[in-house]
Amino acid sequence: MSRWRTALERAFEAQTVAVVGDKMMNGFLWLRALQNFSGKLYSVQIDPNEIPAIEALGVLNVLSLDAIPEPIDYVIVAVPRTVAPRVVADCGRLHVGAAMLFTAGFSETGDPEGLRLEQEIGRIAAQNGLLIVGPNCMGLANPSRGLCNFPGQNTGAAAAGPCGFFGQSGTHTITSILRAPVEGVGISKAVSFGNAIVADAVDYLDYLAHDDETKVIAGYVEGVRRGREFFETLRATTPHKPVVLWKGGLTEAGQRAIFSHTAALATPEAVWTGMLRQAGAIGVDSQDELFDVTRVLLADMPAQGIGAGLIAMTGGPSVALTDAFCRAGLRVPLLSDESYKTLSEFFQVVGGSFRNPLDAGGTIAMGLRSDNLGRLLDVLNTDTAIDLVTVDLGLGLAIDRWLEYPQLAAALTDILEDYSRRRIKPLSVIADAPQRPVESARLRDDLRRRGVLTFASAPRAARALRLTTDYYTWRHEAAGL
Amino acid sequence: MPAPVSIRALNEIEAKQLLAQAGVRVVPTELARTPDQAVAVCERLGLPAAMKIVSPDVIHKSDVGGVRLDLSSPNEVATAYREMMAQVSHRLPRARIDGVAMQPMAESGGVEVIVGVSVDPQFGHVVMCGLGGILVEVLHDVSFRLLPVDRREACRMLTELRGAAVLHGIRGKAAVNIEALADLIVAVSNLVFARTEIREIDLNPILAYADGAVAVDARVLLEEP
Repeated sequence: MSRWRTALERAFEAQTVAVVGDKMMNGFLWLRALQNFSGKLYSVQIDPNEIPAIEALGVLNVLSLDAIPEPIDYVIVAVPRTVAPRVVADCGRLHVGAAMLFTAGFSETGDPEGLRLEQEIGRIAAQNGLLIVGPNCMGLANPSRGLCNFPGQNTGAAAAGPCGFFGQSGTHTITSILRAPVEGVGISKAVSFGNAIVADAVDYLDYLAHDDETKVIAGYVEGVRRGREFFETLRATTPHKPVVLWKGGLTEAGQRAIFSHTAALATPEAVWTGMLRQAGAIGVDSQDELFDVTRVLLADMPAQGIGAGLIAMTGGPSVALTDAFCRAGLRVPLLSDESYKTLSEFFQVVGGSFRNPLDAGGTIAMGLRSDNLGRLLDVLNTDTAIDLVTVDLGLGLAIDRWLEYPQLAAALTDILEDYSRRRIKPLSVIADAPQRPVESARLRDDLRRRGVLTFASAPRAARALRLTTDYYTWRHEAAGL
Repeated sequence: MPAPVSIRALNEIEAKQLLAQAGVRVVPTELARTPDQAVAVCERLGLPAAMKIVSPDVIHKSDVGGVRLDLSSPNEVATAYREMMAQVSHRLPRARIDGVAMQPMAESGGVEVIVGVSVDPQFGHVVMCGLGGILVEVLHDVSFRLLPVDRREACRMLTELRGAAVLHGIRGKAAVNIEALADLIVAVSNLVFARTEIREIDLNPILAYADGAVAVDARVLLEEP
């Protein structure tokens, strides 16, 4: 068990939070981030020029941590780096749950004074058994309690959900939390951990692995200090909880030995990729991919194989859809004779074709014959060659008509919602009209709210479905041990 | 400060002995210090033969004339020995030369595979397999795992290679014995897991056939206290 699981539990579920040193210059970043915090919030600020503005925010200001009557579960330290060791010492003496250092200017700068101060803080923390989050980070977030690490993050039951996030980068962590509601992803706990001088990536991964509210873990890392422990923790987690990892800095050229071919080929990227496969974790290359994969995982509907049944509305997109799926390593197999027989009974062959993909523009007629979409889905859901189903709504052509006659779109989306809820085979929908980004996003959002897995493009859908199918296959094999 | 360590490369004979003891099939290779010894060795191990310089000061053997292949008669072997000594001493006058490593030429038709070990700064020892030979550093068709690996993981490493089809037999060639290759990877993994002073291993090429796999060349780098 990680050394910090209990302390992290206390800090994430904080009843009392203190912010030390927030100020006008920062736009009161922290006090504003915590304006929906459901527990007790204190500001610690001794500058008389700052105090009136803090009180105007409705936050109780005190002159020192000692003046706070309750046990303090989480302290946000936003003081200059030279003052930080003193605040950390106070935190240790008062047995706070955790001290998070927003303060930067330590080892990340490479300057000797920064390094010295960081070591001093580490020493004080060790003497007191104190959990430090950071320094040089944005710290913890628990939306259900209104514990945020940036203003504007959603809070409460609507923002809470099954995705845990840990990030070495503050920006990637904050923007992931800000983006999550748009993706329909609820956050259980999230942490930006910066320089990680006390608790590190292994501890945060371990915490999320054992957090009951977290069903899927997503993370952003650049380097891992305890590589072996990180691997072991990952491997212990993935059989019961998927982990999606975005690694930055993979392409940087390292200095390598020349004795063996093996050492020359052991690039950080090659070793990282092998490590992820061995541990059953899912590697992604961008925040887009991180969310795409996370959404597929949260749908929790494993495909039994890589055979894709594809439906598009016109010829060009049918071809593009097939290319995207095949490039991602998925198969687009022929259907059974029986399926083709059924299809021939209602499929409009003029202006369409029904091998796979089903080029179904004439058959569905932009929603005029919406019941045919249900019949096509029935065929694909029954055919044993098909493991997963994807529909490209052809929004580029249809959107203006659908904006004018919303009942046409509604007839189709009702069917997609119905089939998603029946969970026969994993169903995903591609919906994007590049000329109408706002309306496209609204339509996808509507589908997401109704439990339909949606994507903005065929390549993104294909890649996310491939990565998750590989994970489910790995998990299935691992369970067979 | 960590205690200073010295790094030593085993010569080919020592490297192959170490690997053979660990259960890796290697082409039998013996040291010869004179033309007569070279002839005697290959009369015992078989012709045609390959001859490689053994010297702690030579890393890239073929660059200094230190590799001769397809020697098919005792005469050719004796002549090749004299020529190799002359060439290597001419190009590297101060190189210490222990002799030559004699081995029979491997049976043709195998698929060239590389298996190796190195130390990653974040994750420690890693094992690698890939499609080998001289193009390995151009093609980059390799897969890595942390140590140790079991047979199933080793099979996964092989099947995830882009060129895995080569192992399954293309253009009328028989499929190579994937299980034998996987066992070889596991043997290397177990060796290094037990002897962590090993820093690097290159088995390149390994020739993989329908009935097994054999390491033709071996390099091992050790850390010594």
